[in-house]
Amino acid sequence: MSAIAIPRAGAAGLAPRWFALRAFGTEAGKGLRLMWRRRFMVVVAAAAFGLTYLGISLFIGGGHLVKDLMVRTVPALLAVAVANTAAVEGTGGIAEEINGGTLEQTRLSPASPQLQALGRMTALAVEGLAAAVVLGIVFVFGAGLGIVFVFGAGLGIHPHPAVVLPALLTIADALGYGLIMTALVVRVPGIGAITHVANMVIMAFGGMLVPVSVFPHGMEIFARFIPTALGVQSANTILAGHGLAAAWSDGTLPWLLAHTAVVVTAGLGLYVLNIRHAQREGGLSPR
Amino acid sequence: MIGLLGPNGAGKTTTIKMACGLIVPTAGTIRLNGYDVGRQRADAVRQIGAVLEGSRNVYWPLTAWQNLMYFGKLKGLRAAEVKPRAQRLLADLGLGQRRNETVGSYSRGMQQKVAIAAALITDPPILLLDEPTIGLDVEAARTVKDWIAHLAADEGKTIVLTTHQLPIVQELAGRIAVIRDGSIIADLPTADLLARFAEDRFEVRVAGPRSGVAGALPAGARAEADAGTTRVTLRDADQGRLHEFLGELRARDIPLLSVTQAQPDLEEIFLRLIGSSASRVPPRAGEQPERAGVTP
Repeated sequence: MSAIAIPRAGAAGLAPRWFALRAFGTEAGKGLRLMWRRRFMVVVAAAAFGLTYLGISLFIGGGHLVKDLMVRTVPALLAVAVANTAAVEGTGGIAEEINGGTLEQTRLSPASPQLQALGRMTALAVEGLAAAVVLGIVFVFGAGLGIVFVFGAGLGIHPHPAVVLPALLTIADALGYGLIMTALVVRVPGIGAITHVANMVIMAFGGMLVPVSVFPHGMEIFARFIPTALGVQSANTILAGHGLAAAWSDGTLPWLLAHTAVVVTAGLGLYVLNIRHAQREGGLSPR
Repeated sequence: MIGLLGPNGAGKTTTIKMACGLIVPTAGTIRLNGYDVGRQRADAVRQIGAVLEGSRNVYWPLTAWQNLMYFGKLKGLRAAEVKPRAQRLLADLGLGQRRNETVGSYSRGMQQKVAIAAALITDPPILLLDEPTIGLDVEAARTVKDWIAHLAADEGKTIVLTTHQLPIVQELAGRIAVIRDGSIIADLPTADLLARFAEDRFEVRVAGPRSGVAGALPAGARAEADAGTTRVTLRDADQGRLHEFLGELRARDIPLLSVTQAQPDLEEIFLRLIGSSASRVPPRAGEQPERAGVTP
């Protein structure tokens, strides 16, 4: 055996704020590296998602792409892509970590579980957004939906800067949903399969097939409880050239704010609760 | 170094995980270097590194380097602090050349080395090693064993080691605790534990199968097959009985291979302890019998 002289580590004396930031960044970085390792699958999933949307659009249009409709459903496609990624990769990732024993090792850190969850979801946001951006470019330009840079100049996607607000809230809403599903897997491993059912519901009622606003009233009310639906409605209002004030006054933006706050809080709360429950029951490792 | 021994299901892993704060105990407290795992978790987990049984411990899709950087930074170290330690650990464990390959592409022994390196990346004073040599080939197990010995002797680490490979514990551990059904049934310095079960005995090794000596065995003797030979244990080291037995062997023309004076090893002591319903450790000479588990 050779003599070993390992350099001593310094005292881990980072200020709590900096430590939190470092732990968050470290967790997000790990998530991105893991995503890079399965990049081929990310591309395949995005392609499958795009083909599904294309097929549905052709079905609805009787063999033709109805651009008037697609202008209003493409934002939902992008939102659903983020939500779908957050839920599927979130649940799959946590199940893999439980089975591989790495979740236990990550809990040997002083970092809080909610901080680690936020880092984890940030990496999934990047993954979902990467798919959404590619899908957006393909459908906006490939299907000739067009971007109208002069406000109020007819049909098209009006890229008003104000759309950033509902877009960010929609991403947070989608991640909150993904976190809820992830948290459920910590408690009940077999629940991962339900994720796919939940994703179908979001796809059906989130405005990806037809805009939520054309649903019958009762169904529209139900749809607004579905993650990303309010965000897509709000974004559509702005992208149609009506501005932020219109999105606020029609109620979609304030409700989106409330919905996002509730879903994100529920996701974080449930995750922490279930991690603690797993610690009591020995559920952080394979059961 | 403390060897924590017990049969499957005794509670060794649960004990280790409770010490890590990964399982909350139903009662009682655990302190690591004075920090209560339940109430001062952040400070307590800074005191430990752990290799847990039955799990990968590290991310197989990532490289060894990425794993060490991740775990180092997650536990609060700066990149500049992690890098030199990661370099040295990987070099000393013979992984320096392959540090940028994914852990999933490594052999089982190399993967376990990465898990140990990850546990050591923050230079914790306490190491909890749950079956660190399980599934390893002889050479890899030897390397890991040497490392554990080095960490305890030269690096001054406090190590809690669980393993079913009892010769490793007998060789390395300064203290041994035996757990059965969630209770400690023995907790003594290794030398003391061996001394309490000491008894002079003769081990006679003869050629051929066990059936060959069956009719020649004196009362109380035990015969075990051992790699094509038979090992006979005469427990009370009675010279007269030994000569009598050797005479029987000669009369039956059974080839004698060796005669040695021996003591029970840890494996035999362990089996006696977990097989004993009384759960007692024999007293020292001149002592009154005492409950096992009393730390001297």
